[in-house]
Amino acid sequence: MSGYHGNPEHPSTPPHRTHTCAWCGKVSDGASLSCAACGATLDVKEISTRSGWSELPGRKDMAKLQFGNSFCQVEGMYVPVADFNLAPEDSVYFAHHVLLWKDPQVNITTMSLKGAWKRLLSGMPLVMTQAQGPGHIAFSRDAPGELIALPIQPGQAVDVREHIFMVATSHITYDWFQTGIWFRTSSGNESETHYPVGMFMDRFFAPQMPGLLLLHAAGNVFVRQLAPGQTILVKPTALLYKDPTVQMQLHIEKPSGTQRSWRTWGNRYLWLRLFGPGRVAVQSAFKHMEDNGRNISGHSGASTVSW
Amino acid sequence: MKHCPKCQRTFPDDAPKFCGTDGTPLVSDAPHEAAHQARSEAADPIQRIRCEWCQGMNQTNAVSCWSCGAPLDIHNLVSESGWREAPRIKDMTEIHFGSSTCQVEGEIVPVAEINLATGDAVYFEHHVLLWKDEHTPMSVMPLQGGLKRALAGMPFIISLAHGPGRVAFSRDATGELVVMPLHPGMELDVREHAFLLASHQIAYSYVRIKGLRNILFGGQGMFMDRFVTTNEQGLLLLHGYGNVFERVLRPGESIMVEPGAFLYKDASVTMNVESQQLTTGWFGGTGMNLARMTGPGRIGIQSMYVHHSTD
Repeated sequence: MSGYHGNPEHPSTPPHRTHTCAWCGKVSDGASLSCAACGATLDVKEISTRSGWSELPGRKDMAKLQFGNSFCQVEGMYVPVADFNLAPEDSVYFAHHVLLWKDPQVNITTMSLKGAWKRLLSGMPLVMTQAQGPGHIAFSRDAPGELIALPIQPGQAVDVREHIFMVATSHITYDWFQTGIWFRTSSGNESETHYPVGMFMDRFFAPQMPGLLLLHAAGNVFVRQLAPGQTILVKPTALLYKDPTVQMQLHIEKPSGTQRSWRTWGNRYLWLRLFGPGRVAVQSAFKHMEDNGRNISGHSGASTVSW
Repeated sequence: MKHCPKCQRTFPDDAPKFCGTDGTPLVSDAPHEAAHQARSEAADPIQRIRCEWCQGMNQTNAVSCWSCGAPLDIHNLVSESGWREAPRIKDMTEIHFGSSTCQVEGEIVPVAEINLATGDAVYFEHHVLLWKDEHTPMSVMPLQGGLKRALAGMPFIISLAHGPGRVAFSRDATGELVVMPLHPGMELDVREHAFLLASHQIAYSYVRIKGLRNILFGGQGMFMDRFVTTNEQGLLLLHGYGNVFERVLRPGESIMVEPGAFLYKDASVTMNVESQQLTTGWFGGTGMNLARMTGPGRIGIQSMYVHHSTD
C-alpha cells in the first residue's frame, strides 16, 4: 500500500511518499525497497489465496532490518541466515543450536529462566542463551524455508509452537504454557500419551518496548486472520504461531471403511481446530505425525466425526 | 562513414549522396562498422570483465563466467559483516575446464553434467553419481592409506570418470553448487563428503584432523579432504547445504563458527575447536563447541547444517 501526500501549504516542497508494510504495518519512507522492521519487499503486491490465506511476503536477499540501534541482515534464500550487528546496549536470546557464527568478542551467557526445571523434567533440554553487543552474531536453522520477522508492539503477544523459535530481542519476554492438547493410546496394559502440537507452547510478549522476533519455518508460510467464532482445521505439525486469543481443540475424523482392519482402528485424521478471533500461521512442510493406529483411550476435549 | 562502391574512396557521414569523382551513389558503412566494432571489442585483448568470484577473465559480451559460471551481470552480494554469498549459477550455465565442459542444471538441487573430452578425467565419491553414458570409461583412484580411512568406519572409494563421454552428479539436499576453479599453487581443505567432483589436474589427499577435541567436537569427522594444484589450473565442485557464504580473513583475524557449518578453507587458515560451558544452575549445564578459524585466508560456510549434540 502506498500513499501520496502533497504538502498543500508549501507547494514548492516535493510531495512526500510513504509506504505502509502490508505484513507488519510499519510506515516507512518511499526510498527503501524493503521494510526496515520486517524485511518484506515493498514493491510487490501482497499475495492472498482465494480461500483467504496470505503468503508471507517475499524478501530480497540481503534485506536489512533495524531494531533499537542494532541491525539484522537476512542473507540467502534457501536456508536464510540472520546476521545481527548488535549495538553495545542491545542483546538477543536464542536456542543454542541455531548459532551459526560469531565474532570472538561477542559474549554468550545462559539466560536464567524461571521454572525451567519444570520443562527440563518433562524431558526437554532447554538452554536459552543470550548474546550481548557490540559485535556480529548470526543464526540459521536446519531446513530449507523462510525466515519470519515478527515485530511485536508493546502489549502484544504471540504463541509459537515449540522448536520454531530462532531468536528474539531482549525487549521481548519469554514464557511457555502447556498446550493441553493430548490423546492417549492403549494396547493391553501399555498406554502412551501423545502431544500433537507439543506439550508446551512458547509465548513471546513485549511488555513496554517494541521488539523483534525471528522464527524459522520449513517451506512456505501462510497467515490468515480468523473472525470471532470462525474456525479452521489445520494439521497440528503445520501450525507455526497464533495470537493468544485463538483457542485450540483436538478434532478426530475416522473414515468408516477402514475400521474393520484386524490390527488397528484404521486410518484417522487428527486435526487441530483453531477458534478465532486472531491470526494463525501455518508452514507448508511439516513433520510426519506419529500415529501408531492404536485405540484412543482418552484425550483432551475433542470432537469426533465418523464418515 | 560512407564509401564509393566504384572507386572505394571514403567520405564522412555528412557528405553529399554522390561520389565527387565519378558520381556513383555512396553506400553507408554504419551497420557494417557497428558489427565490426562489436567483433573487435569481443576479441580485444585488453578489455575484459574480471569475475569477482574466481578472478577469471571474460570477454565483454559474456553473461556468465567462462570458468566458474558466476553471472557477470549481477552484483556481488556481500553482507555488511563481510560474508559474500556464493554466486547463484543460472540454470543451464556452461563452465569450461581443460577441453571439457560442465553444465549446471536445476536450481534447487543442482546437477553438474560433465561432457568429458578425451584426455580429461574427473574424480568423485561414488554416492554423488547421478547418471552416465554407457560407454564413459571409469576406474578407481589408487589412494595411499585408503584402507586406514576405510577402517575408520567409512567405506571410502574415489572413482574416476574418463573422457570421452558424459557423466552427471548431484547431492541429496537443497543447496548450492559451489564452483571453485583452483589456480596453480593453491591448497584448499574441504569438509568430508562435501566435494562433488574435481578435475584430474587437482591432486587429492586428506588430512587427519589433529587433536582429540577437534575429532570429538569438530563436527566434521576425522578427516578433511585436501585439494592441491601444482602447475595446472583445475576445477573443483563442492555442494553446500542451504546457502553458502565466503569470507576472507586477514592475518590473525579470527571468527567463531559452528563446526557443522564449516564447508571449506584455505590451508593457511587454522581451525581450533573451543568449548564454552553454559551453566543452567540445576544440572551443571551444557557445553557449546565453536570452531575458531584464524586467518589469513578464505573460509566458506553453509547455512544448513547437522547440529551435533554436545551435551
